[in-house]
Amino acid sequence: MSSSKKPAEYTPPASPSGSYYDLSDDDENEYNTITHTSTGRSVKLLFSKSKVYIHPSASSRDNIPGFIALLQQKPPSTTSSTGASSSSSTSTPPSSSLLLTWMPETALGDAYDTYVKVDLTDGDTPPRQTYLVPPPPSHYTTGASSLVTYAFAVPVSQIFSLLIRPPNLGWWWGSLIINTRAGDSFPALFFHDSECASTIAQSKRRQRDRFDPFGETGQLFWGGDEVLRWLRRYARVEKSHVEPSLYLVDPSEEDLRSFVAKPVVDGLVGKNAATVAAGGGAGMDPFTRVLKEARWNFLEKLTRVTRFTRRTAEDIIDSPKVPDQVKKLLRSPEVQSLQDEFDSARLYLARWAMGIAEQSERENRQRVWTTKDVMELEESSVGEFEILDMELGSMRIDAEKRKPVGLKEWNSWFDAKSGRLVVSVDEVKERIFHGGIEDNGARKEIWLWLLDVYPWDSTREERMAIMNSKRDEYIRLKGKWWDDVERRSGDEYWRDQKNRIEKDVHRTDRTIPIFSGEDTPHPDPDSTYFEIGTNIHLEQLKDLLLTYNEFNPTLGYVQGMSDLLSPLYAILQDDALAFWAFAGFMHRMERNFLRDQSGMREQLVTLDHLVNLMDPPLYAHLQKADSTNFFFFFRMLIVWFKREFEWDDVLRLWEVLWTNYRSSQYQLFIALAVLEKHRFVVIEHLTAFDEVLKFVNELSGTMELGDVLLGAERLWGRFKMMVEAVDRRNGVRGAGGEDEVGG
Amino acid sequence: MPAIKKPMLKVIILGDSGVGKTSLMNQYVNKKFSASYKATIGADFLTKEVLVDDRLVTMQLWDTAGQERFQSLGVAFYRGADCCVLVYDVNNAKSFDTLDSWRDEFLIQASPRDPDSFPFVVLGNKIDVEEGKRQISQKRAMTFCQAKGGIPYFETSAKEAINVEQAFEVIARNALAQEESEEFSGDFQDPINIHLENESSGCGC
Ligand SMILES: Nc1nc2c(ncn2[C@@H]2O[C@H](COP(=O)(O)OP(=O)(O)OP(=O)(O)O)[C@@H](O)[C@H]2O)c(=O)[nH]1
Ligand SMILES: [Mg+2]
Repeated sequence: MSSSKKPAEYTPPASPSGSYYDLSDDDENEYNTITHTSTGRSVKLLFSKSKVYIHPSASSRDNIPGFIALLQQKPPSTTSSTGASSSSSTSTPPSSSLLLTWMPETALGDAYDTYVKVDLTDGDTPPRQTYLVPPPPSHYTTGASSLVTYAFAVPVSQIFSLLIRPPNLGWWWGSLIINTRAGDSFPALFFHDSECASTIAQSKRRQRDRFDPFGETGQLFWGGDEVLRWLRRYARVEKSHVEPSLYLVDPSEEDLRSFVAKPVVDGLVGKNAATVAAGGGAGMDPFTRVLKEARWNFLEKLTRVTRFTRRTAEDIIDSPKVPDQVKKLLRSPEVQSLQDEFDSARLYLARWAMGIAEQSERENRQRVWTTKDVMELEESSVGEFEILDMELGSMRIDAEKRKPVGLKEWNSWFDAKSGRLVVSVDEVKERIFHGGIEDNGARKEIWLWLLDVYPWDSTREERMAIMNSKRDEYIRLKGKWWDDVERRSGDEYWRDQKNRIEKDVHRTDRTIPIFSGEDTPHPDPDSTYFEIGTNIHLEQLKDLLLTYNEFNPTLGYVQGMSDLLSPLYAILQDDALAFWAFAGFMHRMERNFLRDQSGMREQLVTLDHLVNLMDPPLYAHLQKADSTNFFFFFRMLIVWFKREFEWDDVLRLWEVLWTNYRSSQYQLFIALAVLEKHRFVVIEHLTAFDEVLKFVNELSGTMELGDVLLGAERLWGRFKMMVEAVDRRNGVRGAGGEDEVGG
Repeated sequence: MPAIKKPMLKVIILGDSGVGKTSLMNQYVNKKFSASYKATIGADFLTKEVLVDDRLVTMQLWDTAGQERFQSLGVAFYRGADCCVLVYDVNNAKSFDTLDSWRDEFLIQASPRDPDSFPFVVLGNKIDVEEGKRQISQKRAMTFCQAKGGIPYFETSAKEAINVEQAFEVIARNALAQEESEEFSGDFQDPINIHLENESSGCGC
């Protein structure tokens, strides 16, 4: 076998009277007529896909929508050396007559409709009817600034490889980069699947027909899968095992050996093979492992692409064994810039934030109700009436019910003998949701229920038993680190955790009397706080957090947790009880502290949806101010407004949230209420992200909790009405319908 | 954009959790120290107007959380920075050891046009704590700063307000120089700027 496949060359048509293409008979005439007009040669459009973008800059405003398409031009030679009949519609054209092209929508002119038509044509094969379009630009240029020059076309026979990155769990576009045998790379093409009618239809069809929504790579079906499928009709496309994002087109034996069969570095330099080839295995460096744990699939994959290519670039660029195209590929500025960008994770958060904005944008189009629905709804008199009514209704709550629950009332809800609750849990929660709890010992009791230390259906006796075993369990957990002298002195990770916890405990709620003192001598002469002193409650907080670190070692201690613990400890004033209440609280808050920030992102996305739904004008303004990442709510959501409200208000707010009475995501309605309260200021005065962030940060300590709670209730009611009204208008969906609205 | 505009200097303060970033910033801007500052969550900034050689500029000082888990969040704010302040605690060797990675991380994420000339300032904080606790000597810190291309170094105390004013004066000056050099080398879209800034090229450090 030859070591490298020679690209077939394009030769002009030899016999003008002959057919340009292999066509089915019924198309022949029409086809011939068109190509012989004065408009010049046309090419045949086999496949196309819309809403494939080039992103020339970091700003989404610059994105250029276009079509990726597979075109067939006159084959280089009509002498049929193969057995295939040249007039049969089933024959396969040679890859040299095929062009893979990208054209901006604006450059298509009259052909636009044809591209759309072919895009929407069903089926795995090219349309039966022949669609002709003007030829794509014959010369391609990359990196030029004018719009049209982004357009390119490359003979399939000239494609060396494709770098394909599928979308990641719906929050980043899948993309494709074409690398030629000459060593050039074209700009990355981003598949905006959610805008692409054919991809949406295809993935729906897949789900319906085959119940196989998963495409090529075992991931969710996306537009890039289609391009692979087109190419595979005409060319051999091999996925590289060395680098999962790399696909080789009609690879030579050499290429196969290098990229497909075994790790490339193995064959080329013979060192570092294990680490490089391991990819997702055990030999990963800590950075990769962190990313992996964090399930930043998207970044993680790219890191591997990059490390592979970069190491290759460094170590083996001079090796005589490296095929020329590979060397060129590695040096190509296009590949390099993508590498740099992703390897450095430069846009990590920018992308994280943008992901929120884009995910929500995407989902907006897919969800049951859209902003437009709501606008329409608000205009209709029915909607208005209902909303108004609801708003009044929710405010019309008996003043009695707005009083905090005291021990006397609480105790009246229990059977005196068994100690079992005799009213419904819902009633209890409703009372607490509207009225809160008195601060005279009632909290100490009721919080244990709200935080799942006690089951709602337990008897007094059962609770005693639970309490006893929980106390034992706490002592055991604490003993695990307390008695482990070796770890306390030698384990560096543990000592780091301890120092971090101590530092934070000393910065937590020091204005609250029980945490303010510093008159107890610090027991550890090595501690930073030895000179300063401490107090017994700070020491308890520290021990509790260290024990939680033991209880939930995968999460460990993360900044913010001390803020969540201190009110529980202050109210319960019992370390074992506080520990289990904290564990219960953390159960629902854990996602806020995940390494990959996914829990926070999820909430910010939902908040984005909510604002978009409930207050489109405000949302539009935030968009203008580049603030739809909603990062300015990060602090409020991660520690549940602990930094925004005074101590007593925080206690009240948390017990409202703990009830889950309206929604387990009610914190988002609180956030929404905070935003709504200030919407005019935001709209009138704030024009940029830093201004919004500053403004929101400085709301701390300025808000009346009662106001915010009422606001949240009103918004929740309004939200509910909207959803119900939209549902009604769309005809009631059965259970298991597309109810995406619930929190 | 009007040609004569009060420059806004963006300064990023980085360093391990607890080294005193928030305290330093507050000492500089609000002239006070409080033992009850809370651990930073998310990101925030303070602004201060200062005179640098008779020019009035606004400094925007960005403070982010120091714990590794939140480092990724800071990234979004590094963009467009004019100066980066690296803070460590002289009584905590580990916080000194991580300076290098904070610096690298910053350079990668902010990707300034010319990383070699991008201005950093290193602050060794908490020098008010008794001598016996000190883990990083002045000499060691200065050697590090030399090796990194002569980064200005200050030993500070946010608590006792030692050297804070002086350090931020240098920070402001270097940030302004950086801002001007960026404008000069960067903004081809704006011919007015190029002409205006032409004279003030060259190294202002
Ligand atoms: N003795 C002394 N203590 C200081 C000094 N500066 C800060 N501290 C203390 O060190 C602790 C941490 O200070 P912060 O300013 O909150 O630290 P930070 O770097 O902002 O920490 P994060 O927000 O967690 O990243 C607090 O308890 C401060 O009171 C100082 O100059 N001297
Ligand atoms: Mg801080």
